[in-house]
Amino acid sequence: MAGVRTPRETWTNRTAIFAVFVALVIMLTPIYWIAATAFKPRNLATTIPPTVAFTPEVSPFVKLFTKRSQLREQPTQEEYDAAPWWEKMVFDGGEKVVRNRKTGEVRSSGYGDRFKNSLIVSIISTLVAVSMGTLTAYGFSRFKVKGEDDWLFFILSTRMLPPVVVAIPMFLMYRVVGLNDTHMGLIILYTAFNLSFAVWIMKGFIDEIPKEYEEAALVDGYTRMQAFFKVVLPEALTGMAATAVLCFITAWNEYAFALIMTNRNAQTAPPYIPSQVGSGLPDWTVIAAGTLLFLIPVAIFTFLLRNHLLRGMSFGAIRK
Amino acid sequence: MAQIEMRNVQKFFGANQVLKDFHLTIEDGEFVVMLGQSGGGKTTALRAIAGLETITDGKILINGKEVQDKKAADRDIAFVFQSFSLYPHMTVRENIAFPLRAVRMDAAERDSAIKEVAETLQIAQHLDRKPSALSGGDMQRVAIGRALVRRPQALLMDEPLGVLDTELREQMRAEIKRLHIARGSTSVYVTHDQIEAMSLADRIVILHDGVLQQVGSPDDVYLHPTNLFVAKFVGSPVMNIADVHIEGSRVALPGDGAGFQFDETTLSKLQNTGDGVTLGIRPEAVLLSQKKSKGYVEAVTTNIEPLGSHDIVDVRLGDTVMRARTESGFVRGEGAQVWVNLDPSQAHFFDNKTELNLRGGA
Ligand SMILES: Nc1ncnc2c1ncn2[C@@H]1O[C@H](COP(=O)(O)OP(=O)(O)OP(=O)(O)O)[C@@H](O)[C@H]1O
Ligand SMILES: [Mg+2]
Repeated sequence: MAGVRTPRETWTNRTAIFAVFVALVIMLTPIYWIAATAFKPRNLATTIPPTVAFTPEVSPFVKLFTKRSQLREQPTQEEYDAAPWWEKMVFDGGEKVVRNRKTGEVRSSGYGDRFKNSLIVSIISTLVAVSMGTLTAYGFSRFKVKGEDDWLFFILSTRMLPPVVVAIPMFLMYRVVGLNDTHMGLIILYTAFNLSFAVWIMKGFIDEIPKEYEEAALVDGYTRMQAFFKVVLPEALTGMAATAVLCFITAWNEYAFALIMTNRNAQTAPPYIPSQVGSGLPDWTVIAAGTLLFLIPVAIFTFLLRNHLLRGMSFGAIRK
Repeated sequence: MAQIEMRNVQKFFGANQVLKDFHLTIEDGEFVVMLGQSGGGKTTALRAIAGLETITDGKILINGKEVQDKKAADRDIAFVFQSFSLYPHMTVRENIAFPLRAVRMDAAERDSAIKEVAETLQIAQHLDRKPSALSGGDMQRVAIGRALVRRPQALLMDEPLGVLDTELREQMRAEIKRLHIARGSTSVYVTHDQIEAMSLADRIVILHDGVLQQVGSPDDVYLHPTNLFVAKFVGSPVMNIADVHIEGSRVALPGDGAGFQFDETTLSKLQNTGDGVTLGIRPEAVLLSQKKSKGYVEAVTTNIEPLGSHDIVDVRLGDTVMRARTESGFVRGEGAQVWVNLDPSQAHFFDNKTELNLRGGA
């Protein structure tokens, strides 16, 4: 086999490479578009046909993090010279940075806070959903649970309604208990949403771990809890990583609940970015910059776990 | 080391009774093999001793103390599984150290215990490898090493060689025997391979459908099977079985007029219930002769299996085909005329209804 390929295999191989290439182009074009727009001067962002060659700027990112207002009159030469490099960019774009009247501090646009909220909510809800899901799955996998199939179906059925359907009742309930616009509120919501998914995926993984592993530990003098942590958990890590990536992506991208349940304090990035489209004439470069930054955590997270993820995704498929 | 006793043990899975009134005493230092067909309850019995399975009723005693309600961890017993017994995320050394960590043995003592076991089992050169880098035989060596390292009260093995190929099985079989002799550990070994059972066991326990059929030395179960099941299950090629008709001192096969002459006192002692009798005779007790002689009955050969060291010859006697073991080349071809006799001392008679050996078995 090794090295020698028949002409037919070579042909199949080339076709496969070509297909992958086409798929990549289709998937990466929007990302390229956003990345390009995020570095364009504002006047080139919406030209038809699109501008391909331009001098990249970081001004969209400066604007993304600051609160600005329209320049009524040009800044004086002294004002302009005294301004730091990034403020000059804002002046050049015909705007000025809004400062606190008393302290003179630059007012932020709020994107940074939204981004931080997204991180807090997504990371915590992912950790909780994956750990609870793993423990639940372990219980279902190893012990006789009365009505096991019904329970599992019930757990899955929480995913059968589109989330928007329950958004209004959730909103009303949250208002009563004071969870509206809190991190805790969103964390609970996303955990609940991801939990059913985590239980199902983790059950698949744990079913694949031979129960002899724990039994060997049990006869060797360990308690079931110790056996779980020392033997099952290390074997389940791959599955947990795969589940975590998927839960994280779901939480990170969630829009509907975040839009309805939060506004100032706990708002995440997804409802914030489009809200900037609606305020006056949209500055697409700023929106592109916000979107581009928004993609980075998922990319990093997936990249870090990529080995686990690949093994995790193919694990059940091969053995079942 | 320990004595293990099972008293009236019953085990149900739902409505399915898997162990039926199980009675067994395993003496200190003894090597007991549980032998039986698939689904017979061997694994369940072993798991019950280890504490991995609760029993529905009855008592299990280790050194005279009741343990049926104790957790596996508190019984001080080691278990070797057929497969999946090593942790893939740990090296061989860590795998062997794992049971020692449970009892918080100090590092120096632990290292010397690991070293000793690794040397006994010839796996010292693999200590820092991951199990996935080992051959099947070495994996099971490590599994046995892990079981032995903390010097448990007893060693339970559930088909530990089941996944290995024939050559390796034979080699490992010898090693397990050597290890048992060296260590004298009370061992219970489950298998459905009778050669393994015969070669390893001090005593063999034969199980069928959750019922103990016979407990005895390898010779016992081979020479004095208590019932038809044991008679047919032990031995290869299987024992010849035929419905017979007994008249005085004559034992006649169906469709064969002549019959064989037996000692009348032997036959009269059979506790016949009146439901008819089945004859069981091993191929080596079916005697063939090239010429007519006294007591021999005429027959025709129908098939010959030359096996090198000996031949297995099928002969037709009336309506019955019997298999005989002869020296190689004794009969030249199929359709040849031969004369057959049975060795009366090795003949067994089973009651058709109870299937018990009417000569008393063991
Ligand atoms: N956990 C379980 N739940 C329900 N039934 C079981 C369970 N474990 C075993 N059984 C049943 O108990 C019977 C005996 O099984 P056991 O595994 O003890 O047989 P065995 O003699 O070890 O067979 P094998 O040679 O195939 O390993 C079988 O009919 C099996 O289906
Ligand atoms: Mg078994």
